[in-house]
Amino acid sequence: MTAPALALARPTGRGRALLFPAAFGLGALLLGLSFTASVGVGAVTIETGTVWGVIANRLVPGLVEVAWPGGHEAIVWDLRVPRAILAGLVGAGLALVGASLQAVTRNALADPHLLGISSGGAFGAITALLHTGMILGLATVPVFAFAGALGAMALVLGVARLADAASAERLVLAGVAVSFIVMAAANAMIFLGDPRASHTALFWMLGGLGLAQWSHLVFPALVLALCGPWLWLRAQDLDAMTIGDETAATLGIPVARFRLEVFSVGALLTGVMVAFSGVIGFVGLMVPHLARMMVGGGNARVLPLSALLGAMVLIWGDLVARILMAPQELPVGVVTGFVGGLFFVWLLGRR
Amino acid sequence: MTRHLIFFALFLAAPIAVQAFPVTVQSCDRAVTFVALPERAVSNDVNLTEMMLELGLRDRMVGHTGISDARGIDAPLRAALDGLPDLSPQYPGREVLLGAGADFYFAGWNYGLQVGGAITPDTLAPFGIAVYELTESCAHVMEKPKASLGDLYTDIRNLGAIFGVSERAEALIAGWQSELADLSPESHILAEPPRVFVYDSGEDMPFTAGRYAMPTALIEAAGGVNVMEDIGRSWGTVGWEEVIARDPEVILIVDYGEVTAAQKRDFLLSNPAFADLTAVREENFVTLDYVAATPGPRNIGAVGVLARAFAEAAR
Repeated sequence: MTAPALALARPTGRGRALLFPAAFGLGALLLGLSFTASVGVGAVTIETGTVWGVIANRLVPGLVEVAWPGGHEAIVWDLRVPRAILAGLVGAGLALVGASLQAVTRNALADPHLLGISSGGAFGAITALLHTGMILGLATVPVFAFAGALGAMALVLGVARLADAASAERLVLAGVAVSFIVMAAANAMIFLGDPRASHTALFWMLGGLGLAQWSHLVFPALVLALCGPWLWLRAQDLDAMTIGDETAATLGIPVARFRLEVFSVGALLTGVMVAFSGVIGFVGLMVPHLARMMVGGGNARVLPLSALLGAMVLIWGDLVARILMAPQELPVGVVTGFVGGLFFVWLLGRR
Repeated sequence: MTRHLIFFALFLAAPIAVQAFPVTVQSCDRAVTFVALPERAVSNDVNLTEMMLELGLRDRMVGHTGISDARGIDAPLRAALDGLPDLSPQYPGREVLLGAGADFYFAGWNYGLQVGGAITPDTLAPFGIAVYELTESCAHVMEKPKASLGDLYTDIRNLGAIFGVSERAEALIAGWQSELADLSPESHILAEPPRVFVYDSGEDMPFTAGRYAMPTALIEAAGGVNVMEDIGRSWGTVGWEEVIARDPEVILIVDYGEVTAAQKRDFLLSNPAFADLTAVREENFVTLDYVAATPGPRNIGAVGVLARAFAEAAR
């Protein structure tokens, strides 16, 4: 795939560029509504008044008279709110990574999970879940997953250097090759582990936000607050990369170096997101395309809108995952994969 | 005579009145302290729920979880449950336990708790839900000796201590021990302990009980030996070649789920690869329900069923 493929959703006239502020404002409003819906729904039915009473009381103690059981307070404040926030952070992060990787690789199918980072995270998580046990307490799975993600990223960069992969295609191929190797190792560990426990590993690999807790939110929030603006400030460079390496070089961008930088930032973002949510597919792939359809190809607009849409898509995906088979939860990756797949079919049919 | 002396000693050792809190019990590798009697307990899976009910703790419970249709609730259990709410047919989530206002959760690793999952003693602690873990399942999180009926007695004794019903717990254990001792002497005159293979499920590879799973203990108590007891796992898959090499004399079928015991038996009888197994040739099959093959009050009857089957096979 090359530039024309990326341009598939490029607007035809200038008029659509003006849509950006409107789309962004509408998006922010919808994000608030999504959050409201998400904390209002769950395995246990809790009245909307109680939900907002709990939240209001936590923000301004004593604001509302407590008229609900303690269990409901815990469900809203300790389970649903951090979960909805985590969904938003992860969705935004994955969509940003997807948008920027699609730009630097000029590959419409580039996605945070394509490059071995998620496989590395899965490998780390599986090692913890099936073999070492929770040696670091509740932080075990995130720490192992993040270490695995960083290890895989180092491998990809090593292979890229070994193969002298200055071009986008070679870099993607190096990532895919490493992904296969790491995934094979992860599958071997599942096979060697306790078959009943492998259900946990499978659930993790399909993505889930059920382990969200306040004390963990700082990590995805921090990395998003650092990497998001970093990428956004380079939106013009990303635009140049979308056109071609030569154009970008003419504009004075150190092409190979810039590509590796975006890669590393993407890996960091993905690694942290994967550590807390498992491997959630399709958000990083589909949301940037959706954003481009709405505001055109310029990354200054695509990146923030992708983040907004990604957050929204994942919050809704998680909501559906929780209510579809309540009180059981579906892995959120199943929902995003299904919806994402249908979206892509529609996208292909539209051309 | 010795047996009666042991009974006597047990009764002496049993606490006589309601014990004072706090009570500390060992749950896998944790020492759990209870400062008060749990009032809103939840148990996961059919066998653990039966332990609670057998101890007369129905009134201390707010519900049960993890009893899917496949496991089944038979008439005696339904009567004992007496309308106790089913909070979730499968493993519960945190929201389910919090919504029920639970203060105690009796579950086991891979019986409602999963390493690294959303429901573990660590994830429930912040919400004031104490967890007692099924002893048999501790093999998933720590080093543990081979499964034994002692694991069941430990759980009954610990639950008795947690809920202030130690006397009832000791009486139950004493009753079970005497029931086992009274088992038909036939099982004790077996020249060699029969080699038993536990067939849970699976056609391409059998899912079976290893060293740390309850059937190993039940088979041993009935005078036999699990051919897979050297496999250092709870439940797991093995290759059929391994089964054939170990030539079981009796096959114990665990009955639950979609594939019936009769279908499992037919599968074993129909495959020519198994035709030379002693158990298949002599058609020595014995069936236990899921609830009898996993740790719980029905284990005692299960040992009797196995002992009779082994005696039958030896004839």
